[in-house]
Amino acid sequence: MSSKLILSAKGVCKAFGLTRALIDVDIDISRGEIRGLIGENGSGKSTFSSIIGGAQKADKGTFYLKEKPYKPTSMVDAQNQGISMIIQEMGNISKISVASNIFAGRLEQFSRFGFLDWKKINREANRVLEDIGAPEIKAEMIIDELNFEDRKIVEVARAMLSDPDILIIDETTTALAQKGRGIIYNLIQRLHKSNKAVLFISHDLDELMEVCNTITVLRDGVVIDTLKENEMSVDVMRKLMIGRESSGSYYRPDYDGRCSDQVVLEAKQISLRSYFKNINIALRKGEILGFGGLSGCGMHEIGRVLFGIDKPITGTVTLLQKDRKIPIRDTSVAVANHMAYVSKDRDKEAIILNASIKNNITLPSLPRLSKKAGLITKKSETELADAQIKLLSIKCRNGNQLVKELSGGNKQKVVFSKWLGKESDVLILDCPTRGIDIGVKEDMYQLMMKLKARGKSIIMISEELTELLGMSDRILIFKDGKLSKEFMRSEDLGEKNIIEYMI
Amino acid sequence: MDNTANSRNSDQNIAIQQELKLKVARKEILNSVIPYAGFIFIIVFFTIVTRGKTVTVSNLTSLINQCFTITLIAVGASFVYAHGGFDFSIGGASGLAQLMGALLLQYLGTPIWMCVIFMIATTVLCSCCVATISLRLGVPVFVASLCVRSIAKGIVETACQDAEIILSYERFKFINNIEVKTIILLVVVAVGYYLFEYTRFGKHQKAIGGNINTARQAGIKVKKEIFLAYIFFGFCVGISSVFSLFRDCTVTAQSGSGIEFNIMIAIVLGGFPMNGGDRSKIPKAILGALTITALTNGLIIWGMDANLVSGFKGLLFLIIIALSYDRSNGKLVS
Repeated sequence: MSSKLILSAKGVCKAFGLTRALIDVDIDISRGEIRGLIGENGSGKSTFSSIIGGAQKADKGTFYLKEKPYKPTSMVDAQNQGISMIIQEMGNISKISVASNIFAGRLEQFSRFGFLDWKKINREANRVLEDIGAPEIKAEMIIDELNFEDRKIVEVARAMLSDPDILIIDETTTALAQKGRGIIYNLIQRLHKSNKAVLFISHDLDELMEVCNTITVLRDGVVIDTLKENEMSVDVMRKLMIGRESSGSYYRPDYDGRCSDQVVLEAKQISLRSYFKNINIALRKGEILGFGGLSGCGMHEIGRVLFGIDKPITGTVTLLQKDRKIPIRDTSVAVANHMAYVSKDRDKEAIILNASIKNNITLPSLPRLSKKAGLITKKSETELADAQIKLLSIKCRNGNQLVKELSGGNKQKVVFSKWLGKESDVLILDCPTRGIDIGVKEDMYQLMMKLKARGKSIIMISEELTELLGMSDRILIFKDGKLSKEFMRSEDLGEKNIIEYMI
Repeated sequence: MDNTANSRNSDQNIAIQQELKLKVARKEILNSVIPYAGFIFIIVFFTIVTRGKTVTVSNLTSLINQCFTITLIAVGASFVYAHGGFDFSIGGASGLAQLMGALLLQYLGTPIWMCVIFMIATTVLCSCCVATISLRLGVPVFVASLCVRSIAKGIVETACQDAEIILSYERFKFINNIEVKTIILLVVVAVGYYLFEYTRFGKHQKAIGGNINTARQAGIKVKKEIFLAYIFFGFCVGISSVFSLFRDCTVTAQSGSGIEFNIMIAIVLGGFPMNGGDRSKIPKAILGALTITALTNGLIIWGMDANLVSGFKGLLFLIIIALSYDRSNGKLVS
């Protein structure tokens, strides 16, 4: 491996309003290096890579690319200078063809007398797609006809078009299945062999271990350490990321899946057109019931129907309390009877971004806080909010801070705390740990165990099998809107047993 | 891992964070002060340029009268604007209520108290229509309220086509009493403030304006709450219509016109977020109402043509929106 520097960044600073995303970051990348960048959400890893990739500008700092000063003005400019980036979110332009997407912003080269040579464009696009190992995607296809994974591959093709010296991959693989991952891993190896470099960002520590030969750890915008291949281990990385010892395994330690026979929530023959059909569910007291499946299997919609957000076209959802049967007609009935729901789309559904932490936490508890003449005192609100902020150790100035200023993990804590403050008995959690860093994830799992111990019932809907296996008493696997298999908690149960019932 | 280096960085980090916090705090204070400064500036400016004509007893009386109407409506409108409802029906509804009241008094000889109830019922009905159209048909509030405004205005214009309806001023002088008005205004402001800041009703409006999905998933009956806000709003418009009628004692095709736009400017001038949400505050709406009244009055006393005043207000609205609208998330920042 040549140790010649390809990229050198010195003293990089960047602030977003109140948040300092990067503080004096120095990172050098050599030729042939596959550099992993890790850190919790808000640690600055995506900010750093997007500055390198030209998506935004640094406040301070100098960059050298191949020993020349480097200051990209845009992503296209960065690409022209040799740095390509594949981003976390969807980066396609919809309603146009694959070729147009691949060459978006750089079509002039095919222009002759003011007309575009589409034959040549399509030929070139097909060549690139074939080159990266996806010949089944054709240049003429409209981007919307492709599935999520193939669209991501089109983005990869776009990034590889200019034969980059450095390829930045920002949490792309987490969204991809085997095929997409294979293509990206092959490209990484190719860049490595041709003495170029890769900047790889992922939450998956095992994947990072496998792919990278150097790993830099960021925490709160500061470079904590850079690990060489022989120094890397998942435990070390985790410790550096969260800044304290971690128990290593953060799931439930026990394999006792037994719980009481008392059913607290029951769904009978519920259907919702085009999502799922004739589903029966019985949640028991003190149970963690996992819902698993591919993202389009209908499990998220089942969660919404159970909480009364969407109305089923057939069937009923009933909440069973001591001697009462309560049909769940809408969310107000559900909430009034101590049900809780955490949406998978946090910013759009679970939280009011432009409101204070306090007002978010107290929202479902307002009926309880109301005294005579409907009076809700400021004191009672502050007390409730402060107790929850302390209980879940939400990182904030005080309860009056706006939620939008918090990091992803802390926002999720706010969502949880509003339901804990309401003293909920039945919780439906849709992807409760999505986009959350390890530290907060661990807290969330601990919390679920505590709730279970206190006799609360939880439905956890998740696309991550490890988390379902790690936490659930019972797992229901859904496929194409039908229940495909039920698993009880067991030490012998592994991902391999489950996957075949999902696909 | 080099621990000393890290701790130094953390210290720096804390210092920088504190500095940034201070900056943000200063900006927040500045933002909350600007509407007040604007109000004072307008008062002082017009006192000077009109050589004190704006602060004569007769003008102050008429100022109080004008403030009374618009402040009453601003309190009610706060509830609707807080949940994100951009209502534009006020002028039409008010005009219709005044027409109804005048007709009842003039031709049917209905007792005054019954007329008052009837007028308030008219504006409540109008705002309930807006709410029903918007909630049932899923039409934006702005469109629904524009339709209701048009219908109401159509009725008033048709009725007043040939002749204005003129009531005897002397007969209703007792209602035109400044003490009565002051008491009513204080009561409405106090009740509004209490409901808005200290009860579920107001808090739910702000939550709906902040994020309707979150509100629904927190168990709030969104449609019911929105409907209640419109009832309160209609009630406030109703009271103001009653006093408008007995002050002018005349109903013309133009009765009530233009109030909706004044309210819109008042909301923005006071720093009330136009899409509602957590930062909605009744004092902001009231401050805005006072500012727009002082501004309109000042311009006219200064000698600006009434038609020009309306154009000037449009321009002002545009400038404030351009300066204060946060385009990143479609929210107005104060």
